[in-house]
Amino acid sequence: MAQPQKNPINPALALVAAAAGWFVPGLGHALLRKWSKAIVYFFAVVMLALIGLWMRGNVFSSNAADAFDMLGFLADIGSGIFYFLAGTINPAGADVSRASGDYGTRLFATAGVLNLLCVLEVLQIGFGSKEEWHAGP
Amino acid sequence: MILNHFQTMVIFGLAVSLAFAFLSKKSTSERVRYAVWAFLAFLLVAIGIGWLMYPFSR
Repeated sequence: MAQPQKNPINPALALVAAAAGWFVPGLGHALLRKWSKAIVYFFAVVMLALIGLWMRGNVFSSNAADAFDMLGFLADIGSGIFYFLAGTINPAGADVSRASGDYGTRLFATAGVLNLLCVLEVLQIGFGSKEEWHAGP
Repeated sequence: MILNHFQTMVIFGLAVSLAFAFLSKKSTSERVRYAVWAFLAFLLVAIGIGWLMYPFSR
């Protein structure tokens, strides 16, 4: 049986892929040719972000009033392009006076944190600290 | 879009368990097993905690 080979380490590609993966979920893995992971992460993050916004979840801004708002902002900014398109996707804005809006807030934050986890994995793969094989997607 | 708490929880569980399976497992069979296990765990734990909190809801 042939021994699997480790991916060659390319720090520049890893950083570019991480930035791309943050901005467009799954793009970082696609640049590293991890196609199945790219597709799954893309659909998972996009589904959470879009449903969160359509449910009129709150999107935290950078001028946070307290530590919890700052944590919310850090989670939300993790969703990349969806953070910047939130106003376009849901022009009506947030409505947390109903439970549905509150659930949407959590879903959008989850999308951001999940995408940040994916970005960390891109860095791990890119810098060779995570076992990934050429044969595996 | 209006979803109730359970529907939101199902969407959350699906997306997160699938992503966690791909983050932590290598082979397809391991990923499927982990995703199903994590999804069911999300639902069962949430419903269980819901029932535990029920006596204090009023």
